[in-house]
Amino acid sequence: MTNETIFVDKAIIPQHLNFNNFAIAWTKGNFAVYFFNSAIYTVCVVLGIVLIASLAAFAFSRLKFPGKDIIFYMFVAAMMIPLPGSFVALFVLMNKLHLTNTRFGYILCMINVGLSMSILLLKTFFDKMPRELEDAARIDGCGKISIWWHVALPLARPAIAVIVIFNSLSVWNEYILATLLLGDSQLMPLQRGLMVFQGANSTDYPVLMAGLTMAAIPIIVVYLCMQKHIVKGLSSGSVVG
Amino acid sequence: MHKLLTLCSCLILVVFAGCSQPPQPSNKILLWHWMTDRDGTFQKLAQQYQKETGVEVTIQLFAPSDSYSQKIIAAAQANVLPDIYGILDKKFIVADFIKAGLVTDLTDEMNANDTAWAKSLFDKALADNRFEAGNTYGIKPGIYGVPIDVTNEQMLYNKKLLAKAGITTVPRTYKEFIMDSQALKRVGITPFVSGWGELWMLNCFSSNYAFNIMGEEKVFATYRGQVKYTDPDWIKVLKIFADLRDKGVLIDGIVTKGNKYAEQDFALERAAFAFNGSWCVNVYHDMNPNLDYGVFSPAPISTEYPLKIWGGAGSSFVVNAGSPNKDKAIAFLKWLTAKKQQVVLARETNNLPSNREALSAVSVILAEFSMGMDQSTHPSIWPVNEDPLVLEAFEKGIQAIIIGEKTPEQVGQDVQKVKDRQMAAKRN
Repeated sequence: MTNETIFVDKAIIPQHLNFNNFAIAWTKGNFAVYFFNSAIYTVCVVLGIVLIASLAAFAFSRLKFPGKDIIFYMFVAAMMIPLPGSFVALFVLMNKLHLTNTRFGYILCMINVGLSMSILLLKTFFDKMPRELEDAARIDGCGKISIWWHVALPLARPAIAVIVIFNSLSVWNEYILATLLLGDSQLMPLQRGLMVFQGANSTDYPVLMAGLTMAAIPIIVVYLCMQKHIVKGLSSGSVVG
Repeated sequence: MHKLLTLCSCLILVVFAGCSQPPQPSNKILLWHWMTDRDGTFQKLAQQYQKETGVEVTIQLFAPSDSYSQKIIAAAQANVLPDIYGILDKKFIVADFIKAGLVTDLTDEMNANDTAWAKSLFDKALADNRFEAGNTYGIKPGIYGVPIDVTNEQMLYNKKLLAKAGITTVPRTYKEFIMDSQALKRVGITPFVSGWGELWMLNCFSSNYAFNIMGEEKVFATYRGQVKYTDPDWIKVLKIFADLRDKGVLIDGIVTKGNKYAEQDFALERAAFAFNGSWCVNVYHDMNPNLDYGVFSPAPISTEYPLKIWGGAGSSFVVNAGSPNKDKAIAFLKWLTAKKQQVVLARETNNLPSNREALSAVSVILAEFSMGMDQSTHPSIWPVNEDPLVLEAFEKGIQAIIIGEKTPEQVGQDVQKVKDRQMAAKRN
């Protein structure tokens, strides 16, 4: 379709198919660079969240240390602060650490965004893990880290699948924080490419739709790959071990 | 041991954080903007500027405008604003930036060489960036921003549809407008569309007629609380909308129509007249490149006072007062608003140039829009503005008139009640 026909041809299958829109979206939207960036951000952030959240959740669930509950509730309370509410403070902090306009800075912030929910989900899961499993592992000579790695993590696979899906979706579609922290367009994620087609007053709908279709494909693939774990993960805790 | 390591790590972070160097002058300028549709042209012009002067201008786009505004505020707090940026907010926010020492006073630059720079720009566009003596914000009088384009809101007509109804000239008076609308209705054409689901569009249209019926002094006196909204002149303004409704001029569902949908209606020839801003040239071109249309000023209902339209600076840039490259930034903005570059911007982005000398090179439709600049005005340059709650009551009242829920007299009384309440709240 073209921008002229999109407002008049309202059939589900357009009269004139124009696959050139995909090529235009890819080149004009500089999708090659943004796809690469988004892939890097998604992989690093999701890995970071799974690693940190599972360690933290395991500690909150299984270890005894002073201030454990207070720290945990602080993490949970962080979920109640909307992201835009922390923009100024976050930008000032990242700027002081010289991490604005760097991939590393953005990845750190995005890990932080996804941590609270993931810790809560995993802690709930670990709380219901039978003590006997842990004891058996200890008898076999496992230390705390070995129990986390060999026992807790494999059992938490359904919950981790949910965390991977939710956070992949959130990082892949994220743009506001990227706008705040990144300046160089070469570091921007995929959503930046889609912005090119939306002017203040007019929008290039056919190319935007083509771009959106391409942007949605990877996340659909991730979802399909992890589909079987989703229902299991959402009802996690009902059967553990 | 662990505690010691944690402490050391924290100390290292703090030390690194404190090691930043103050910005040094360089041959590079950084510009932040939000205009997706103009980014390509800006980039091209920046490359040309580098070839001509050797100064490298990095243009960074942050859209949508909401995200851009958040970035600007965060950067202002962190004191890392770029050399050139725009403040997309109300005048009092701009005043806050100026008070915080984040905006350069450009008055001397504008007035240099017998005010050459100021003279080249539309005065109405400069007025948006000017703080007059005795302004209510407590800002030192001066010009603080550079308009890179201008806009105004006028009436548009579809030439083909008007010809179908046998109309050969555009209406010059409100009476002619009603007659033409009825002629259009007779041949089955919807006369008028506008995005009156958006209150600001209604505000814009109604204030045009308020100025025309009672003159700007009386309008401002109303805002100051010296004239009531039940005054016969205000009722006359409200009666225009009842009249437009009764004569069947308005498209169905006009009070729920966002401007984007109204633009579609006009672009797809579903209505013969529209009320819209000069940005519509781009929009209509995208939706229907063959649309044959023209521009005319809203038809006045009275000859007593001039009808004023809304217009002024479209987008403006300011120079960071803390920038070590302030002079280079100002030089770039001078270059960007010079005739040659303004012609490029106008041609490639279909926006009205802020440099009046560039008008000779713009398209016919933009030239028609530009003719309205001299009769334009804008709330940002008025000496007094109405309370937002009163304005909202007024515009919602107009919507109620259009859907036949209230009479103009009832709306006048309702608005006055809100006005009285707000005035009392201010006094207390």
